[in-house]
Amino acid sequence: MSATTVAPVAVKKNYLTALNEALAEEMARNPLMLCQGEDIGKLGGAFGVTEGLQATYGDHRVVDMPISEAAIIGSAVGMALNGMTVMAEMQFIDFISCGFDQIVNMMATYHYRTAGEVHIPVVVRGPAGAYGGGALYHSQMNEAWFCNSPGLKVVCPSTPYDAKGMLKAALRDGNPVIFYEIKELYRKREIEEELPTEDYIVPLGKAAIRREGKDITLVSYGQNVYHCLDAAAELENVGVSAEVIDLRSLVPLDEETVFNSIAKTSRVIVVNEAPMTCGFAGELVARISTKAFHLLDAPPSRVTRMDTPVPWVKPLELHVLPTVDKIVAEAMRIVKF
Amino acid sequence: MSAKSGSATAERAEQAIKPSQNLSKEDCLELFKQLYLARYFDVRLIKEKKRGRLRGTLYSSHNQEAILVGSLFGLAATDWISPIHRDMPAFFMKDFRFGVDNPNRLGMSIEEVCCQVWGKEGSPGRARDNWSHIGSKSKKIIHSTSMLAGTIPVAAGVVYADRMQGGNAVCLTYNGEGSTAQGIFHEAINYAAVHKLPVITIVENNQWAYGTPVEMECPTPDVADRAKGYGILGLIADGQDVFDVYDKVMQAVEHSRAGNGPSIVECKTFRAYGHGDHDDDRAMKYRPAKEIEEGRKRDPIAVCRKRLIELGYLTGADKTSYMAEGKNAGESSNDDFPPEIIEFMNKGIEFAMNSPMPAAEEAEQWVFWDGDKP
Ligand SMILES: Cc1ncc(C[n+]2csc(CCOP(=O)(O)OP(=O)(O)O)c2C)c(N)n1
Ligand SMILES: [Mg+2]
Repeated sequence: MSATTVAPVAVKKNYLTALNEALAEEMARNPLMLCQGEDIGKLGGAFGVTEGLQATYGDHRVVDMPISEAAIIGSAVGMALNGMTVMAEMQFIDFISCGFDQIVNMMATYHYRTAGEVHIPVVVRGPAGAYGGGALYHSQMNEAWFCNSPGLKVVCPSTPYDAKGMLKAALRDGNPVIFYEIKELYRKREIEEELPTEDYIVPLGKAAIRREGKDITLVSYGQNVYHCLDAAAELENVGVSAEVIDLRSLVPLDEETVFNSIAKTSRVIVVNEAPMTCGFAGELVARISTKAFHLLDAPPSRVTRMDTPVPWVKPLELHVLPTVDKIVAEAMRIVKF
Repeated sequence: MSAKSGSATAERAEQAIKPSQNLSKEDCLELFKQLYLARYFDVRLIKEKKRGRLRGTLYSSHNQEAILVGSLFGLAATDWISPIHRDMPAFFMKDFRFGVDNPNRLGMSIEEVCCQVWGKEGSPGRARDNWSHIGSKSKKIIHSTSMLAGTIPVAAGVVYADRMQGGNAVCLTYNGEGSTAQGIFHEAINYAAVHKLPVITIVENNQWAYGTPVEMECPTPDVADRAKGYGILGLIADGQDVFDVYDKVMQAVEHSRAGNGPSIVECKTFRAYGHGDHDDDRAMKYRPAKEIEEGRKRDPIAVCRKRLIELGYLTGADKTSYMAEGKNAGESSNDDFPPEIIEFMNKGIEFAMNSPMPAAEEAEQWVFWDGDKP
C-alpha cells in the first residue's frame, strides 16, 4: 500500500450484511460450495441474505429451488455425500418442519450409521424468532427439535460479528449445522458493528459473556440476549448485579462458561423464546441442577414462552413471550429466595 | 403375473433396436447366472434363519431378481445406485460382471454383505443399523434409511454434484410402489425434472405394500404414467423378464446421459412371500392363494431360461439343469443351483459367522465428525 492511501472509513455493518459476507467469502474460498433455497438467486432471498451471490457465482452454484424443504435438504445431503459443501436456506425457519425427516433421519444420522465413512457439511439456515408480529408460522424458535436429534449442531448468533464468524465456522465444520438467524436483528441499527477485514471464524461451542455481574447469571441466546441485557440494566438500578451469558451454540454446549459464572453468582435464570416444555432452557436447568447444584443458593429458574403457539397481534404476542419485565421480576424473586 | 403394460407412455417409448439385442452370448449367460445368484442369496438366508443360525427380519427379493440383475447390468463403474429393503443382492451385485474377485469392482464383497446381515464388525456400517441400511461412498452406493422414498432427493443431490464436478453419472434408485404415496417421492422427482438430473426412479411394483394392495396405494394402474406430469420419461418393464428390464433401464440411462433428465421405470412384478419373513404366515391370510399361484408361474429364472433356449444359448442337458424356478426356499435345495454360486455364498456366510460383533463402546462413536483424524 502506498503511503498516500487514505485509511478506509470504518463501516459499521448489520447482522444481515455480515451473513451475506460470510456466504460470499466462503463461496469464493470453496469452489465446491453451493447455496440453494427458495427465491435465493434472482431475488437474493426473502430478506436479502443471498443478495448478489447468483450474479457472482452463477445459477448452478446459487440455485433457486422448487418449494420443497425436503428436496432442498435431501439433495444437499446427496451433494455433501458427493464432495460438496452446501448452504440450504429455509425461507423461514418455521418451514423446516417440511424437511424434518430429511434432517433428523437422513442427515443427522449419516456419519453415525456409516461408521464415520461419510460426513455431511451442510448448513441449514434461516430466519427465526418472534417479537415481530410474524404470528404462528413466521415466529418460531424450534431449535429443541434438533437439539434432540444427535448428530446435528445447533447454533444461534446474536451479533453481526458472531453471525459472520459462526456462519463461516459452520460452513467449514464438516457436520450438519442448523443455523438460527434472528430476523428481528437482521437490520437492527443499534447492534451494527465494524467487522474485521481479514478472514476470521467464531468457533462453535463457545459461549460469550456479554456483561459481567456477581449476583445472578442470566443465560440466553438470540434476541433474548438483548432482553437480558436490558433487564440487567434495570436490575443494576435496584442494586442487583447480573451477569449475562450468550450461549451462541446449543450443540455443542459450553457448560464451563455457565458453571464458572454460577460459581460466582450462585443464582441462574435461563431465558429462551421457545415454549417451556422440553425446551432448551429446561435442558440447561437440568444440567445445572445435576452438575452445579453445590454452587447454587436458589433453584435454577427459567423464563420462556408459554406453552402456546406465537399469536399475531402485539398484546397477545408479548403476553406469551419472555420480556424484560418478566426477566426482571423473576430475577428479583430468585435474588430474594 | 399380471404384467399390465401397454399404456400410452410405454408405447411411445418403445425402441426400434433393443439394447438387449446387442448382448453377447456370454452376457446373456452371465445374466442367467446372476439371477441364480440373487435367488440363492435369498433362499440361503431363509434356510439359515430356519436353522436358527441367523436373527433379524428378512425382506425377500425372491421373484423380483430380474429387476435387480437387469437394471444393474448395463451401468458404468462411475454410476450410483440406491437400493432399499427389497434389494439386498444389489449391494454385492453392483458392477458384478467385472468379476467377483476383482478388487477394483465397485460392489461390496459378499463377506461385507453377510457381515451386515449377521450384524458383525465387518459390515460396511459396522452393524450400526440393520438389513439394507448400508452403503458405500467409494463404491457409489447410497446408504439407505427406513424412510421410504427418502433417498430419491439424496440421489438427485449426488448426481447434481457429479455433474458440477464434470461427471456424467446416473443414479438408479429402487422403490416399492407403496413408497410412491410419499410426499418426498413427488418432491424429489419434481426437483430432478426441473434440473434435468440423471435420476432413474425404478418402481418395483410387486402389487403389495406390506398388507396393503396396490390399488389402495396407487390411484392409477401404472405408476409410470406419473412421468407425464413431470414431462419426463416413463417406462414400463416386465419385471419378470431380465432382458426387458435391461432394455428399459438402458433406455432410461441413455436418455439421462444425453442430458434429458430423469425417468420413472416401473417394473411390474409380484411379491413371492410376505412383506418380511415375520409376515409370511399372515400374508397367507390377506393374499388369495390363487394370486400367489399365478404369480409363481412367471418365475424370472424360467422366463430367462426360455429366452436362452430360443437363442440357442442353452442346449442339451443345460436346458434343464439347475431347475430353481417355481420353488420357494423350503422346496429348493443346493442341487438347484450352480456349485460356484453355493461356494460364493458359503464363503460370505462362513466369514460372517466367524467374525466378532463390534465392541460395545463403538455405540458412542461417530455421532459427530471430528476432522480427518483416524
Ligand atoms: C415412511 C415410512 N413409512 C412406513 C414404513 C414401514 N414400511 C416399511 S416397508 C413398507 C411397505 C413398503 O411397500 P412398497 O413400497 O410397495 O415396497 P415393498 O416392500 O413391496 O418392496 C412399510 C409400510 C417405512 N419404512 N417408511
Ligand atoms: Mg410393493
